[in-house]
Amino acid sequence: MDLIHPHSADAVATALSEASRDGARVLLVGGRTQMGRGNPAEVDAELWTTLLDRVIAYEPDEMIAVAEAGVRVGELRRVLAEGGQEWPVDADDEATVGGVVAAGADSVRQLGVGLLRDTVVEVEAATGDGRRIRSGARVVKNVTGFDLHRLLTGSLGTLACLTQIAVKVRPLPRATCTLVTTEGGLELGRRLLDEVQGLVSVLAEPDHVRLRLEGWPREVEAQTAAVKAIAAAEVDDGPFPPPVFPQAAVVVEAGVVPSKLPDLLDGAGGFRALMGVGTAWVPFDDPDGLTLFRARATDLGGVAPAVRGPGGLGEAPVAAVDVQRRVKAAFDPAGILAPGRGWTT
Amino acid sequence: MPDLQIARAELEEVLGPDGVIADPLGLRLYARDASMVEGAAGLIAFPTDVSQVVTCLQVAARHGLDVVPRGSGTGLAGGATPIGDALVIVTSKMTRILEVRPEDRLAWVEPGLFNLDLSAALLPTGFAFAPDPSSQQVSSIGGNVSTNAGGPHCLALGVTSAHIRAVDLALPDGRIERVGSEGPAASGYDLRGVVVGSEGTLGVVTAVCVRLTPIPPTVRTMLLDFDTVEDCAETVSAIIARGVVPSALEMMDRGIVQAVERFAHAGYPTEAAAVLLVEVDGLAEGVEAQSAEIEAAAREHEVGTIRIATDEIERQLLWKGRKSAFGAIAQIAPHYHLHDTVVPRTKLAEILTGIYAIAARHHLIVTNVFHAGDGNLHPLFSFDRRVPGTLERVLAAADEVVRLSLDAGGALSGEHGIGLEKRDFMSLAFSADDLAAQACVREAFDPAGRMNPQKVLPSGARCGEFAAAALARAGDRAEELPAKELPEGTWI
Repeated sequence: MDLIHPHSADAVATALSEASRDGARVLLVGGRTQMGRGNPAEVDAELWTTLLDRVIAYEPDEMIAVAEAGVRVGELRRVLAEGGQEWPVDADDEATVGGVVAAGADSVRQLGVGLLRDTVVEVEAATGDGRRIRSGARVVKNVTGFDLHRLLTGSLGTLACLTQIAVKVRPLPRATCTLVTTEGGLELGRRLLDEVQGLVSVLAEPDHVRLRLEGWPREVEAQTAAVKAIAAAEVDDGPFPPPVFPQAAVVVEAGVVPSKLPDLLDGAGGFRALMGVGTAWVPFDDPDGLTLFRARATDLGGVAPAVRGPGGLGEAPVAAVDVQRRVKAAFDPAGILAPGRGWTT
Repeated sequence: MPDLQIARAELEEVLGPDGVIADPLGLRLYARDASMVEGAAGLIAFPTDVSQVVTCLQVAARHGLDVVPRGSGTGLAGGATPIGDALVIVTSKMTRILEVRPEDRLAWVEPGLFNLDLSAALLPTGFAFAPDPSSQQVSSIGGNVSTNAGGPHCLALGVTSAHIRAVDLALPDGRIERVGSEGPAASGYDLRGVVVGSEGTLGVVTAVCVRLTPIPPTVRTMLLDFDTVEDCAETVSAIIARGVVPSALEMMDRGIVQAVERFAHAGYPTEAAAVLLVEVDGLAEGVEAQSAEIEAAAREHEVGTIRIATDEIERQLLWKGRKSAFGAIAQIAPHYHLHDTVVPRTKLAEILTGIYAIAARHHLIVTNVFHAGDGNLHPLFSFDRRVPGTLERVLAAADEVVRLSLDAGGALSGEHGIGLEKRDFMSLAFSADDLAAQACVREAFDPAGRMNPQKVLPSGARCGEFAAAALARAGDRAEELPAKELPEGTWI
């Protein structure tokens, strides 16, 4: 396995251009924190983006930060916190900005902070054949041309190597609080979601529901009272969100419409379900259980890709597969970027 | 040449005689949208359901007709202006709400449904579709999707794309594909993200799955007036700097306030240099806290009066002033030209000064009413097209506004789109490779190049040989398509 460790966007482009010429298959790697996402890909080389590590621009008044793809999320967090702001993602500090965008994982706080894809306002990237492209602009609102940056977000490094990203950031909440109820279950989770206004996250597990409250101090106080009027709950001072099933070898991140969560999770031993969204994390220790669970998710119109351990994306119908293939072919004509890693081949 | 008579007969067989327009007056009516661009159409079709949209696309494919999708025709960039013999597919007869599922926070609607009609229908559920373009009384959801429409309330909640879960898209060959998903995750690339805002160049939107957002329990609307434009603009940044992101933050200068006040009688202060219309929402406690921060920011910048709407009637009146601005300016002159660039928020004051200078240099009246929180400018040049030489001066001024905005690190369009009006500015914003990559995506949906051709990308922006070879490898026939130029007689 070769290692490519470029120090500039131009060097990334040159390396990919050469790899395309030689037919060398390349896996794009950031902080190695989300390697479980996507199908396993057999490659000849890894391209590490971690030397692209400069925060290029940050003006708090513009609520936009521009970072090279290899900037660690922890570093960006630190810089933004000095401006009283955050990029609302759940990734570990060691993850890279480019890796987070390529993985496309939305925050469990998405009811309050929105989706990852809507924070990405501009990207610079090098295509599989080494052409440098830019999409979007460093402004919070923009409808100029076709939004290639949306296509690249969540593309698992199969279309282009992100080299620089401008993200929309938001003010850090003045007050935060995590409450954990003494009882659990989807029904209680749903009741809390419906009856307490403005919760940014309701994570239901079999034996407790974890709630995230964020906002102005008096707002959080009012929400706390509203929660406690419905269920007994304690304040939890640990990190939010806590790691998802840290002991499990395989964790799936399923997605169905919220009303299908009870069907999806019926009989599941452990789960963490994001109420009002429909995402559910489920641990597995045997491959048969995973297969059955995936079949059920597909029947319910959802997907169930693994996010940790072997398992890959699973089978799910892909829309407009010919369009997807043409997009892949246009961005990565030699097919060198992580063959097989994405949903379409 | 396509045989329009045969195509018309085939369409009428399925859509009925009322479903097709081919007479000269009718064709003329649909030869433009709300922009300054006038084109020409071959046939106009009004499908009433998905199967009729498919028929339209199949007929167009059979006869080699270009296809121009159209919602309500309120677009301001010429995106729905047909060119040559195009078949215009109008979705205005597809207006049903197909299903509303509050628990799943979604609703499926047909593309022709008016934005405001959806809001009204959703009201009893406690949820809303957040995008609220000023044209919302008449603009369609399909059109909102195609332009990735904005509106005053997109500051905190994001533009249309953030509120679209999935789209049923009829591809140029008549296939229907669902891009995106009802649930939180989809398989494959985010084609939904590209379709939203693609201005009808990738297919015809036949159904839209919108995201529902809970209606906040408390809303407060405030009108702040200032003696100088600078103080007003700087207050915008000062509010954001205090960690407050209002749900709406709109700025209007004196010219527009005076026009609006004569029309809406909302009690706007006509002597102020500029006003801010600010709205905050959320829990009552949070609204109080945000209001206090906004007041403090405004006081640092010499705010005059701060008027707080005391009830829903007063709130609606204040918003009536803002949303009727484009109608109200008809008092100033019979025509207007509206631009839609975005600039970094902290440069608002500087750019506004620049815009006034541009207007003065070209002897034009300019008024400003815009989404200040987003930095999304809407300078309005009012003029009388019948006065010789005026239109040329307006277009020259508009050109300077675009360059001024881009030089400041801004974007060509914040919410109206590129269409025909701005496509030749695209190469100011993007490199040839950037545009080629965009063309690749377009050609991936529409290899034959018949969907709303000549829009968005400047002529000459093509996917290129590299991608053509790649397409051939991917199993497609890579056709060499002639570059399309605007035909004679297209009037911009």
